[in-house]
Amino acid sequence: MKSNRIFVAFLLLAVVASTAFAVGDKEAGATGAAKPLRIAVVMPSATTDLAFSQSMWSALLKIQAEMGGPSKLELKYSENMFNVPDAASALRDYASQGFDIVIGHGSQYGSSIREIAPDFPTTVFAWGTDVNTFGLPNVYAYTAAAEQGGYVNGVLAALLTKTGKIGVTGPVEVGDAKTYIIGFVNGVTATDARITISKTWTGSFSDVALMTAAAKTHIASGAGALTGSSQSVVGSIGAAKEAGNVLWFGTQADQAPLASGLVVASQVYDWTGMIKDIIANQKSGKLGGDAYVLTLANGGLKIAYNPSYTIPAAVKAKAEAAIQAIKSGAIKAMP
Amino acid sequence: MAGMIQRIEMKGIVKRFPGVLACDRVDFDLCAGEVHALLGENGAGKSTLMKMLYGMYPIDEGAIFIDGVERRFRSPADALDAGIGMIHQHFMLVPTMTVAQNVALGQKSSKGFVLDLDRVTERICQLSADYGLKVNPHDLVGHLSVGEQQRVEIIKALSHGASVIILDEPTAVLTPQEVDDLFVVLRKMVHEGHGLVFISHKLHEVTALCDRITVLRDGRRMGTRPAAGVQRNELIKMMVGRELKALEHRGYTPGIERLSIRDLRASGDRGVETIAGINLAVQAGEILGIAGVSGNGQLELAECLIGVRKADSGNILLNGADVAGMSLNERISRGMAIIPEERMRDGAVNDFSVLENVFLHDHKDKAFRQGIFLDFKKMAVHAGKLVHDFAVKTPSLETPIKNLSGGNIQKLIMARELSRKPTVLIAAQPTRGVDIGASEYIHQRLLVQRDAGMAILLISEDLDELYELSDRIAVMYEGQIMGIFARQDTDIQTLGLLMAGIKPGDSPKAGSLIAACED
Amino acid sequence: MTNIFSFEVLSGVLRTMIALSTPFLFAALGETFSQLSGVVNLGVDGIMLLAGFFAFYAVLLTGNVWLGLLLAMFIGLLMGLIMSLVSVTLKAQQGISGIGLQIFGLGMSSLLFKVLVGTVKTVSGFAPIKIPLLGDIPFFGPILFRNNFLVYAAFLLVPVSWWILEKTTLGLKIKAVGQNPAAADSVGINVNRIRYFSVCLGAILAGVAGAALSISVANLFQDNLTAGQGFIAVALVYFGGWSPIGVLGGALLFSFATSAQLWLQVLGIQVPASLAVMLPYILTIIVLTISVNRGKQPAALNKQFFRGEN
Repeated sequence: MKSNRIFVAFLLLAVVASTAFAVGDKEAGATGAAKPLRIAVVMPSATTDLAFSQSMWSALLKIQAEMGGPSKLELKYSENMFNVPDAASALRDYASQGFDIVIGHGSQYGSSIREIAPDFPTTVFAWGTDVNTFGLPNVYAYTAAAEQGGYVNGVLAALLTKTGKIGVTGPVEVGDAKTYIIGFVNGVTATDARITISKTWTGSFSDVALMTAAAKTHIASGAGALTGSSQSVVGSIGAAKEAGNVLWFGTQADQAPLASGLVVASQVYDWTGMIKDIIANQKSGKLGGDAYVLTLANGGLKIAYNPSYTIPAAVKAKAEAAIQAIKSGAIKAMP
Repeated sequence: MAGMIQRIEMKGIVKRFPGVLACDRVDFDLCAGEVHALLGENGAGKSTLMKMLYGMYPIDEGAIFIDGVERRFRSPADALDAGIGMIHQHFMLVPTMTVAQNVALGQKSSKGFVLDLDRVTERICQLSADYGLKVNPHDLVGHLSVGEQQRVEIIKALSHGASVIILDEPTAVLTPQEVDDLFVVLRKMVHEGHGLVFISHKLHEVTALCDRITVLRDGRRMGTRPAAGVQRNELIKMMVGRELKALEHRGYTPGIERLSIRDLRASGDRGVETIAGINLAVQAGEILGIAGVSGNGQLELAECLIGVRKADSGNILLNGADVAGMSLNERISRGMAIIPEERMRDGAVNDFSVLENVFLHDHKDKAFRQGIFLDFKKMAVHAGKLVHDFAVKTPSLETPIKNLSGGNIQKLIMARELSRKPTVLIAAQPTRGVDIGASEYIHQRLLVQRDAGMAILLISEDLDELYELSDRIAVMYEGQIMGIFARQDTDIQTLGLLMAGIKPGDSPKAGSLIAACED
Repeated sequence: MTNIFSFEVLSGVLRTMIALSTPFLFAALGETFSQLSGVVNLGVDGIMLLAGFFAFYAVLLTGNVWLGLLLAMFIGLLMGLIMSLVSVTLKAQQGISGIGLQIFGLGMSSLLFKVLVGTVKTVSGFAPIKIPLLGDIPFFGPILFRNNFLVYAAFLLVPVSWWILEKTTLGLKIKAVGQNPAAADSVGINVNRIRYFSVCLGAILAGVAGAALSISVANLFQDNLTAGQGFIAVALVYFGGWSPIGVLGGALLFSFATSAQLWLQVLGIQVPASLAVMLPYILTIIVLTISVNRGKQPAALNKQFFRGEN
């Protein structure tokens, strides 16, 4: 039947388009003469999310550039792998294609790594954010002490808000989204206990419209500064931008490009040191067993001040003091 | 009315459906001011021919001329524009809308884009007064009776400005009184200069109403006769291809009571009581007919008797034993046989062969078994005998039953049921959708069984059939028996009134129309 | 702690409700037309995504919100034509073709976003218009009369849709085609044309709904921006009993519950966040269970029409 054939063609077109959505399977390297090091990464969101996934992807690109380009380090990624079974098969594929280091960049991939890693004893696996290597010799775990940057942002926010109110938005109360906010709240209250902080959780990592509405609700109830975590935070920034006079504090990646006049500072996850360490270990034959924690002290976490927002010197000094105190252990961001 | 069609001619019309020649070079014509009947059996091509005139099917060959000009209709819109309307067997109404909205549908509004229901209501009242079509424009169509819905259909066609109206089996769903009312309206329309095509397979209606009669058989035109003075037998011969034997009704000598229904109550599918206390008895050697307009509890009664619907209370005595709580199998083993109303749903398995359908129930019979296996040789002999005895036309015993005609399926079911030598037969609508030849055969068989002493309960919506076969006739209305009459003691008029729920002496129900149109 | 029953809080809840309900209103009113004509379009979400992306992209490039809106409507029309072609002309199963359209919109919008934009960017969308005098009414003014063009248009669309469906010949035809297409056909109504019209109108409005999300509510675009709102819009049509007024009620109720739960959290009321997030959905399920709308469902919904078959 003619109509059926057209219908099937239509469905196929839809499926092709959807595949483009589900797996952005792209190569950032070409095979050179000498056998390059090969790293693959599976991520829950897009490499351009200005947050969690982008922090890992930019670290890898930076290392690639340092090492001398695609002929020395071959990179491959699968993004938007919300669906864990899909991610698991991608991880297994990369391992069987002979990648040297396979990264599962999401706390939801833990059980998949635990299941796959024993089948590829010569491949290095890394996953995060978590600290559990499952006792496997070829698995690294990594996480970020997000509360540390959260604390610093909290200090800044408490000093800069003009309304005495601060709003916090987040998706679900888990992982580094949760610890960041704990640190942030501690930073605010340690600086000025009179400030009210209100929190909203939207229950979704992807519902931007709802996140926008949540941020607008904070603004309407008088919040002078906002912060929050996860990729859907872009909605909140949009709301802050629309309101015009509300400050934003970022985390995971430098969010200044989203609203240059409003973003005061961002806690940036810098995975480069950790990855370099894993690469070095791999060359010397150590395939896993360690858990990395990014901290301000080890340079894995950085506070990126937005150059186009002028922070009063006194305020900046207090933030720097907090950074030093956290580094030295004098302040515990999350007691 | 200006611009009325004077004459329609259809010449050499051919229509093919996959595997079927539905119309084979058919000629047909209609003049203003006449009723022209299209008479024929089911599947003779009557509806197909008219659906082409109404633009629903394209014509394969041939041409349509209206007042001498050739016209091609690609859709009903074209036919309506030309002044042709059609009232379908299944009404084309939107039940969730009011009468006025249904009539307004598809018509140009006097206010352009905006609906003008007041104008439409006015028009309905005017047509309703002109032709005696009682309807309330504000009623929801879904709440109307079948007869009222038909009046809405006629008003709809008239208000679309149709000068020629095709009526496809318009009387199939009506009580005899409603048929009479309809005929009055139709005669009035003819008097006003309308031309009507009246599709039917009922001879007496056709001869009572029409001016000319064209008979179709197997897609061919068998001839056209003026209705005045035409012989009934001639029409039957044209329809069926042969003459029918007259039915032989021997003397009525009822025997012992075989089936007795006592104060039976049961609920329909929606939980409303549809059988409200019925008492009936059928004796050996008699046919008790149940008359009634469809939906008055006859279906539920049959279902209670065969045990697929649970009675709320009351008794069913089969040969003296109360079977009300028994399964169908137990009832069959106590002498009951069934010709179900929905033969393709309840009487046969469509994809099974003729042989398999014969043994749907009796496959447990030891006579057809060898140990735990079926004895196919014996089964084939038995089935072959039934097919022969009951003149079932089938290519082979292996043919799937769905490939047989309705009449042949019904004959096979009857053969199967009677071969068990039952003492009581429940026959529900045994000839509905069955051609005249097969009907005649089934009627003869039923009379033969009656003469041989069987007790038969015959449920039918066809009053002619009931009259020809029954010894006594009971009328059902809203789940109750309105009365039981010996055949010779009653007439169609009395039965018709009872079927409409009017007992002799009651005044007819007052119409609500006048009030509706006067405000 | 702020008093939750204060004027400010109530006004805030209602303002958020109005903003959130705008995309639902456009999408669900459009779907009402489509379903009343007998076609369930499950592709609403996909249309919203693709149209929402193009609206965002046009505004990003030109800064002209009207161009964005127009482009969104055009994309909606195109996708409506695809839906009509597949499910009306080719008579494919509506459910499957709708889901196909949804997957297509999701994938295509995501792909185009990645290729053409790449990263998160915000735009300035429709600006609020304060209606003179009315906007100054205490309490109601800020809620009702200081919104942007799309919000006014969405609420105006409710009575307009009602009027079209109840008072015009077109509305009568649409409903007849959805209830009994054979009856409509028999009085000369072109069933397919009415269904094309209704599906395309619905798709254009879904396109506007997408634009409302990307250049009015969120002012940005991201992968799967709708997060399933198109499906909620389809559910709202059932919820509203296929009537524009009912759809309005459903959209307001759902948006109110969403807005109220956000406010509950902001005000620090001690409700577990996971429970608060469920509130709109629980409310919807309860109302759906209580209100019986089965009788109003178009009888020919989800059924293809073949002439001459009864």
